[in-house]
Amino acid sequence: MNDRRRVNGPPGGTRPPVFQSGLQSSNPSDRPRRQRQPAELRKIFLKTGLIPSASGSAYLEFEPSASLAANRSNPKSMIPPSSALKLTCTVHGPKPLPRSAAYSPNLVLTTHVKYAPFAARRRKGHVRDSSERDLGVHLETALRGAIIAERWPKSGLDITITILEAEDDRWWGEPPDSHDASWGIMNVLAGCITAASAAIADARIDCLDLVAGGVAAITEDVGASHSGSGRLMLDTDPAEHASILSACVVAYMPARDEITELWLKGDSSKAVLDDGDSRQGHDALIDGAVDAARGSYSVLSEAVKESILNAVAHA
Amino acid sequence: MATSLPSVAIPGQRLGSVAAYAAGPGTHIQQANIYASIAGPVVVDPAPPKTQSKSTLRVSRVIPAPSRGTLSGTSQKPRYNTLPAIDSIVLARVTRVQKRQATVSILVVLDESAANSDPSKSASDNDNVASILTSAANPENHSNTDELRFQALIRKEDVRAVEKDRVVMDEMFRVGDIVRGSVISLGDQSFYYLTTARNDLGVVMARSDAGNMMFPASWKEMRDPVTGVGEPRKVARPF
Repeated sequence: MNDRRRVNGPPGGTRPPVFQSGLQSSNPSDRPRRQRQPAELRKIFLKTGLIPSASGSAYLEFEPSASLAANRSNPKSMIPPSSALKLTCTVHGPKPLPRSAAYSPNLVLTTHVKYAPFAARRRKGHVRDSSERDLGVHLETALRGAIIAERWPKSGLDITITILEAEDDRWWGEPPDSHDASWGIMNVLAGCITAASAAIADARIDCLDLVAGGVAAITEDVGASHSGSGRLMLDTDPAEHASILSACVVAYMPARDEITELWLKGDSSKAVLDDGDSRQGHDALIDGAVDAARGSYSVLSEAVKESILNAVAHA
Repeated sequence: MATSLPSVAIPGQRLGSVAAYAAGPGTHIQQANIYASIAGPVVVDPAPPKTQSKSTLRVSRVIPAPSRGTLSGTSQKPRYNTLPAIDSIVLARVTRVQKRQATVSILVVLDESAANSDPSKSASDNDNVASILTSAANPENHSNTDELRFQALIRKEDVRAVEKDRVVMDEMFRVGDIVRGSVISLGDQSFYYLTTARNDLGVVMARSDAGNMMFPASWKEMRDPVTGVGEPRKVARPF
């Protein structure tokens, strides 16, 4: 559905046009390569309490991949080789339910995830599309298990996430249909979960634990010595991998060792694990995602602690 | 079991065992341990002496001010997301007066812990009603439409404790008055229920027909200082 009340931008991509002559850099050897260890995460920036009018808020940013930094110092193309996640989360409430709503003895959670029109290489409209609604439902599931809803009767909590820069689904130099699934959305969801948990803690809503999001994927790199085998990678940047076989997002509560949301996509049977590792592919994938979530939890807990210590210092 | 308590806690952080403490607000119990459920300073409320009860462990929503200001009216603590609960004292603005009931919208839920610990201060919050209502630290003030505030009803029989059947709502409240009330029920889907049937509850701020701020003259009358005209109200005890 098109929004006719606003002057919309062009429906297509907003990146600068790429002419064929400029595309000589788009040969496969220029594909950004993962320079991290398989179990090494990107750095995360997370800060709470940036939006004064909201009862809680958080801003999250992933460190751009090393390939992006290299491209900036030595640009081969006007198009950055990959993008890094940036998003803001606001929490409004607890506030009264609308008059039409039925009595609820619990907190009613509503989640909205919206891409900024310029967030992805393909421009997004002002109306939420199905992938954004899907993200909202996944996020709600992830948070519902962590919030102690019965402490807030008759009230609603609105969680709004604006994605300022989304992860790419694939490297831009590839033909548009070369990947079968949108892998970037899984990184986005993991970021949403971590940021929303920080914002909820900032709003002082009772929670069982902080929930952290983590992503792991089984990837197959073109030109790898052992083709046809998948390697387990944590916190994958989809632009850095020619082929992602399967990926998994978890929302994980470390203090209780519980998973509140699990999203697994693709074929995890081709995973090649270390010798002596007898796990199934999907087990290894979920364990990897939990490890990634533990990593982002360390940032999350520090951010929440820092905000409360700042508040105490300025009281 | 003498583990030291952290000064601040984050959600999911283990604070102590239920054998040593009782769980207070801002905590929850999981497998016989007390865990923090909000981020904030950890406070131990010692058990009342000569009782068998354990001291209560809670995580405060309020950041404690390091030094109390001498002006009690200006040193307002920020309040966070307090929901009206049964017996909590609220300040509300009258939005509609009908024959059987008055509709009010709740502006502030007063901090009951402060009121309980120091009764001399709670009695004097008449003086700083204005500062409570205008304090920018109140997140409630950011929601400046009635749709975003919790609505409540004061039924005719809950206005005062005596002569309940002689109550005329028009002589108790006017639209725009600020009322101090106590929550008696969470009510139905849309309204809380308040009572003003106590001496310290009722109208605390009101404007006259002429538009001047009135002062309380008796338990049932407020007077305009400029014109000298009195108007009937259910007045809260001013001190």
